[in-house]
Amino acid sequence: MNRRHFFRGAAGAGIVLGTDLGPMLRDLYAFGQKANLSHVEARYYKSLPDREIECELCPRRCKLGDKERGYCGVRENDGGTYYTLVYGKACAMHVDPIEKKPFFHVLPGTNALSIATAGCNVNCKFCQNWEISQVRPEQVDHFDLPPADIAETASTYRCPSIAYTYSEPTVFYEYMYDTAVLARRKGVKSVVVSGGHINPEPLAALIKVVDAIKIDLKAFNQDFYKNYVRGDLQPVLEAIRLIARSKIWLEIVYLVIPTLNDAPEETRKMSQWIQKEIGPDVPVHFTQFHPMYLIKNLPPTPVSTLEKLRKIALQEGLHYVYMGNIPGHEGENTFCPKCRKILIQRNGFEIETNALEGGKCPNCQNPVPGIWA
Amino acid sequence: MSVSKVVIVRGKGVLPRKGEVDSKILSRMYDRGVQLLTGQNDIKEGLRSIFSPSDRVGIKVNTIAAPELTTPPDVSLPFARLLTAIGIPEKNIVVWDRTNRELKEAKYRLNIGGSSFQIMGTDTAGAGYPGEPLIHLNIGSLFSTIQSSLITASVSFAILKDHGMAGITAGMKNYFGVIHNPNKYHDDSCNPFVAELFDTSPIKGKHRLTILDALVVQYHRGPSYHARWAETCETLIFSTDPVAADSTGWQIVEKLRKEKSLPSLEEDKRLPLYIRTAERMGLGKANPADIQVIEEAV
Repeated sequence: MNRRHFFRGAAGAGIVLGTDLGPMLRDLYAFGQKANLSHVEARYYKSLPDREIECELCPRRCKLGDKERGYCGVRENDGGTYYTLVYGKACAMHVDPIEKKPFFHVLPGTNALSIATAGCNVNCKFCQNWEISQVRPEQVDHFDLPPADIAETASTYRCPSIAYTYSEPTVFYEYMYDTAVLARRKGVKSVVVSGGHINPEPLAALIKVVDAIKIDLKAFNQDFYKNYVRGDLQPVLEAIRLIARSKIWLEIVYLVIPTLNDAPEETRKMSQWIQKEIGPDVPVHFTQFHPMYLIKNLPPTPVSTLEKLRKIALQEGLHYVYMGNIPGHEGENTFCPKCRKILIQRNGFEIETNALEGGKCPNCQNPVPGIWA
Repeated sequence: MSVSKVVIVRGKGVLPRKGEVDSKILSRMYDRGVQLLTGQNDIKEGLRSIFSPSDRVGIKVNTIAAPELTTPPDVSLPFARLLTAIGIPEKNIVVWDRTNRELKEAKYRLNIGGSSFQIMGTDTAGAGYPGEPLIHLNIGSLFSTIQSSLITASVSFAILKDHGMAGITAGMKNYFGVIHNPNKYHDDSCNPFVAELFDTSPIKGKHRLTILDALVVQYHRGPSYHARWAETCETLIFSTDPVAADSTGWQIVEKLRKEKSLPSLEEDKRLPLYIRTAERMGLGKANPADIQVIEEAV
């Protein structure tokens, strides 16, 4: 995804589409104007006296007066009714390898139709997609894309899954939820890429209509969350627990930022927590940071750091520990935790070999958890 | 130790009826505000001590709660017209806010180009935001090119009102309308964000004057408009010290709340601590003991 294509100033014009889908969609959809926002009543809020509302979607629980927007910038109180401004208003749509999300245990080697709207309910200083996540919907080019059209487009492009990604899907919850319901009827799976700042009730409802969620665990300490994410760690851990106890698939990504969240002891504690609370089979990805957005004074994460943290997680008993953004590194591969045979060999987002047979290691018959078909 | 001057001018009858402004009384309010603030009897001399004829002046109004609780053109444009008296061409005066939609709701007639006052939102074609964020302390934002590039001198013409998160909103917080992501800075009662935003070069480097529109003050349940907690005060507040202006506005809101038997902002756990932070950062005076308040009725 070329992020530079996303953000436009008010003087800008143009559309935001991946090169592969662009020509077709230019014909299919009428591109919305920047002020062409949705006015669909939001779910998960309560009305308060004097036209105020309290949002119950995420742990921030924004209390808003009339005409105010939440922290996410995409939900607005209008006269005491809370509205989502981005329902059906996608600002990005691409066909991506599902490994790019990354999901390594979900339909490897397939494409996911990936969509996003503007907005996010945190403000990570290292955000890789800030041009869409940290802006208001009227500040980015977007286009009309109803849920039914997404499911249809996924089928047309032979994408077995739809990924809600790039920004923070929690803030376009209603749009994601309704799309997932329609997609399931067409046999298309839904996978969510989220920071996990979502309250238990909406998350529990979402779990019933999607197939997998990847949580970006930004660090394993509250100070980092406060200073670099503008969020809280505890609700994210609660979300991970809730997903892990459900029947849907969970993966965890940890973006390793030099000097900020790369302490070995922090990784050890996180690995112990995962082992204890979730079990050893959840895939954990340690991915490489690149200077971005508000953190440009730090170098990319050294490969040696990622290797060290991966080793710690494996030592703590986690079965599927990966390295991300290091194409060709052996840390991208899936190994059988029992016999150590390479089961899936990757190079970047490409699958070079997939030896799994019926979700099992062909060598020792050890079952490998995931969504394989 | 120097003190900062804040001028409070009351114009009884300036709002004769809802939606109407008595232009003669308003004119006298501006005259006395400038005279008392600058110590110059000659209005032009007073304005020349703040602005230069070569300035391109931005007047940042706050239209978010339009049409009920905003500074309408009947109030802001007469001040803009005063500036022309010192030789600033109308076309070099920009009355602006975040969006054209909000300006129109506040009854502004948009105008871009030509020889008249420029009236526009940041979403005007040709304005917008630059591609890279400006980073300063805890602030990381795109700044409206109106503030960062188009103008050389800035007036924060702000509505004074209670604010559910910030405690109060006044002159400094009005500059939240400069950036693309103000929703990201409402945590922790907007502290230290309001002060840190003001401290950025596009704002601090250009700010010349705060005018607080206290013609109608929303003293409770702001920043939205609620008629039952909106008091017609028919007051304008002037200061070249942005912190002193806001601190004085804070006291006015507190006084109204007390008169109406409402809890203080401290009791409501909504102290506008960003004002004190701004003082600590050297942006102005927040302590009432360091502020000379001059009050006059016209």
